[in-house]
Amino acid sequence: MGKDERYDVVIIGGGPNGMATAAYLAKSKLSVCVLEEKTECGGACETQEPIPGVRIYPHAMLMYASPAPGFDQLELYKYGFRMNWDPMDPLTPEATSMACTDGWRRYTDKDMEGWGKLAGLFGTPPYTKELLRATFWCPPHPPEVEVTDDNVPYMQVYKEHQPEIWSPELRQGTMFDILDEYCETEHWKTAMAYAAWASGAAGHWEGVAIPAIHCVQLLILTNTGRTSYPRGGLHGYFHAIHRCAVAHGAVVRTCCPADEILIDDGRAVGVRLKEHAAIGGRNIWANKAVISACDVHQTFLKLVGPKHLDPGIIRKIKDISLKNQTLYVSQYLVKKPLRYNAKFAEFSDTRYVGPNKYPWGGIYPCDSREIYYADVADCDSYKTKPTLPPEQKMWFQAPSLAFDPSDCQGYHPKGHITAPIEMALTSPDYHVEGEDAIDKYRDELGQYLTQCHSSMFDGLDEDNIIHHWFATGRDVEYRNSGLIGGTWAGSRHCEDQLWENRPIPELARYRSPVEGLYHAHQTSGHPGGLCLMAIPYNLMHILIEDGIVEPAEWWYPAPQYIPQEGKISADPNKKSKV
Amino acid sequence: MAAFKTKEEFSYDPNDLFGHMQQEFPRESEFDVVIIGGGPNGLMAGAYLAKAGLDVAVCERRYEAGGGLATEENLYPCYASNPHVLYHMMVDYMPVMRDFQLDGPSLNWIKPNSQLGMVFEDGSSILLTRMLQDTKDSLLKYSFKDAVTFGKVIREWRRIVDDIIAPATYIPPMAPIEITMAMQKTEIGQRMLELGEMSPLDIITDTFEHDKVRAIFLYAACMWGLDPRETGLGFMVPLMIDRAMNKCYCYGGSHKFAGALAREVIKNGGLLLESAGVNKILIENGRVAGVTIDEGRTLRSKVVMSTLDPQTTFIDLVGAEHLPEDLKASVEGWRWDKWSFNTLHIVTEEPPKYACDDPFINDSFATVVGIESVDQLLAHWDNVVAGKIEDNLGGHCTCESLFDPFLNDRPGKYVSMFQLHAPYDIEGGWEERAEGVKEAMLAKWSKAAPNLTPDKIVATSMETPEDIEIRFPQMRRGSIKHGDYTPIQMGCFRPNQECSDTKTPIEGLYVCGVSTYPGGLVLGGPGYLGANKVAEDLEVKKWWTPTPKMEKYIKTYLE
Repeated sequence: MGKDERYDVVIIGGGPNGMATAAYLAKSKLSVCVLEEKTECGGACETQEPIPGVRIYPHAMLMYASPAPGFDQLELYKYGFRMNWDPMDPLTPEATSMACTDGWRRYTDKDMEGWGKLAGLFGTPPYTKELLRATFWCPPHPPEVEVTDDNVPYMQVYKEHQPEIWSPELRQGTMFDILDEYCETEHWKTAMAYAAWASGAAGHWEGVAIPAIHCVQLLILTNTGRTSYPRGGLHGYFHAIHRCAVAHGAVVRTCCPADEILIDDGRAVGVRLKEHAAIGGRNIWANKAVISACDVHQTFLKLVGPKHLDPGIIRKIKDISLKNQTLYVSQYLVKKPLRYNAKFAEFSDTRYVGPNKYPWGGIYPCDSREIYYADVADCDSYKTKPTLPPEQKMWFQAPSLAFDPSDCQGYHPKGHITAPIEMALTSPDYHVEGEDAIDKYRDELGQYLTQCHSSMFDGLDEDNIIHHWFATGRDVEYRNSGLIGGTWAGSRHCEDQLWENRPIPELARYRSPVEGLYHAHQTSGHPGGLCLMAIPYNLMHILIEDGIVEPAEWWYPAPQYIPQEGKISADPNKKSKV
Repeated sequence: MAAFKTKEEFSYDPNDLFGHMQQEFPRESEFDVVIIGGGPNGLMAGAYLAKAGLDVAVCERRYEAGGGLATEENLYPCYASNPHVLYHMMVDYMPVMRDFQLDGPSLNWIKPNSQLGMVFEDGSSILLTRMLQDTKDSLLKYSFKDAVTFGKVIREWRRIVDDIIAPATYIPPMAPIEITMAMQKTEIGQRMLELGEMSPLDIITDTFEHDKVRAIFLYAACMWGLDPRETGLGFMVPLMIDRAMNKCYCYGGSHKFAGALAREVIKNGGLLLESAGVNKILIENGRVAGVTIDEGRTLRSKVVMSTLDPQTTFIDLVGAEHLPEDLKASVEGWRWDKWSFNTLHIVTEEPPKYACDDPFINDSFATVVGIESVDQLLAHWDNVVAGKIEDNLGGHCTCESLFDPFLNDRPGKYVSMFQLHAPYDIEGGWEERAEGVKEAMLAKWSKAAPNLTPDKIVATSMETPEDIEIRFPQMRRGSIKHGDYTPIQMGCFRPNQECSDTKTPIEGLYVCGVSTYPGGLVLGGPGYLGANKVAEDLEVKKWWTPTPKMEKYIKTYLE
């Protein structure tokens, strides 16, 4: 066994946040080591091929990150980053319809106009990129700065570009309230609220209406995501980040689960690995900082532990709400291709997509917000297995395999692969019968998923299904320890846990009560999930403030960033008050 | 840092609603070397050449590089296995290990003492071990004479491997007449030539007397596709047997090896593009000019190295019209493997416990199940070649979780596999036969390991030869080595005399996959040899030198 290793910074967790942090720091000329517990880095940006020819994306599949400064600052194109752009023209009838229990319903120009306004598309020039960056790619203000309607970054951007949009109501109401003002049809609003819920911030929560809307806009505006995906899936996007880190000298150690964050006199000095780690249970020392890019529970409750934290903080961390549903991703391999059932036959040619010509459902059913509320209640209120009749249960289908027949394994020589269908169910940790209950109901849940999907599609019968892959919330938790509670975003993106409160005010700016220990995980930092490279970018501001990173010529901070008093400003042009 | 030339520039235009916010890899780019295929050979070639200062791009069709170095969650959710390469036989010799320090912090190799077991219906067993006296102990119960013979013969075979075959793996091939002359120089070389004239079956039956002892050695000799009755490749028997007793497991799964190689490409400034299936090798003015990939991007380069099979490289990507007649004829005459693998992966509550007289069999890296005698082994082999699988099937099993805690996400479960030689064209077709073969395999396995009862089995998944071809289309007809091991497709004839030193008659085109000398099974040979040749032709300084064993071989036989 070799000697202990020593680096400037040790990062625990090789998911998108850990690796993008590594890329930023390595490019800033620090020596960096990433410790990943699994064989392959990527975290939730993963692709699997459970049987040859069938690829599945168990978690992240769509591209939300388009406005990220990281593309530019890390120059991801140099490391092979490419997109598969959805060729679907967003103005065709099949693209302007929402699936409801009685069939397709069109949405209107007014829906589009309102939506475009909220996205900054009607500024001169359009300010979409700046607006979306303000919402996600800016660290929370320092604790001494009072958060007001004037200084919240997205409020600043609206005010600067289109003062008529700016109103305190943007920060008070729910996404539904805002959409009622700007858009027209109920099915459009319901669909967008559901997409927001599945993306992080929900449509019915006060205080996060704009982040909720912007989550969806990251995904479906023509120049951000257009429901498109990176070539090779999100793992392909991750490859570019990973390789940027490695090319700048970051050392990546896989099969190296952390056992403990080593703390000496209140300061994080390194990480001890578990005994079965690929390099043994040795210590990896950090001269400047330890950054935990694994989930907030594991980081503070296990790796730091109560020895080094106050009971008050421990309780608050235990109480962080994980409720943001578990998304059950179903993917089917079927003998004969699925067809829309009679209610949805309207676009019979054009709405069959991809190399397999399979039906693409979008979001179902979007009739009204009552359906949405019933779904939320079923997941977050009842805490049991699903109680809704299958035809009223909401789900959405990611078109991730749909566009490009040259992206191999989007088709199978002996069957037809459906695009993944995602449905939110109660997280195992909140199940009234205990977190293992879901293992018991696994088969039953699988059947329920299929029944729900049959609301739109014919052909999901036992004879036609060769295989139905899905992972329960419990499976998810075992497979990917960072997706705590089997939930996707890990912790809720509600007002109590967003921005300067994410995940609790004491941890909001990526620092922790342990000196030299920072956190960079979707569960613990603003803005949360969606593989945005946002936490690493935001964290950079803080690491510059603390003198750990020296900003290089390629660095630029968020325009709305406010330096903390007494610290080094991450903006060379802005001086902090000393 | 990744380096290439491009003329494209990116700027974001907020007024263009359909414009993109982020820059992508350019439509057209220029490299020194483009490598087709990100399997072990492509990655190795890429790593050597990138470190030599060349701008290198490795294009991989799948979403993840590694080729056969795959660890896949084929028992989704929660359980992964190594569906392809599991036994790493040349870790002791591959120059890439030393040149990139791949034995240490970046990779760990597990080489269990119990290497290859064989259990019989009568409850007896044989165990071949890394430590030779343990093997002798195991053979003694069948035949004193065989145990004694083994002790003597294995020393000779080891020397053949260590002095000749292993180092020669990383040195360009010689013509048969040159080999004959070179090998005359030593006694051990002459012995190797003698073995070459014999079939594996002859060698094993001449050497050992007891049928069960013969069965395990013949299995070890032919496990990777030597035809038991074919003469001309007998010199490979010592290699196969010695390596069957010195296999390594890659801790964390075989894909970890690919990951480490990929990072060497990147660290040294190379580019690795996944989901980038090459659909054309560009030929301009009679020489190579680059490649195009499926999504329509062009990567220009003066050198293209293909790690694919001869048909794909020359017919599909270059095009028959660009080939000299001889080359075209030899490509068209290429023969795929006569056999493939059918592999059953299972997750169980306990590791398999074999009902036999040696508890160390349960620790064995591989255990042969279902083979009772040389006759039965040959009968199964003949069946496979004739497109049949019958009740006399047999193959090797490994419980991967015994060596690797990283394959199962849920604790307390065990991932194992049972692999047998199988025909690509099975009578009745795989769709019809798969379920029956799976049941027969499970029955055979649970007979040998009675604790594998249905209640202990958590999940199963079987991959047929057709599945191999679906995952890796260049393993045509399930040919895991991209083409048969026969005397006319080995040595300087792999893939043909024009190309076996990796350079092809088409200027700028090189071949360095497993269909090129020395062949497959993650030898680390073709990619290394390809990198050497390209470095020489481009007159780039090699930063690496031959290993001491290679130097000794060169001095003894080639000078």
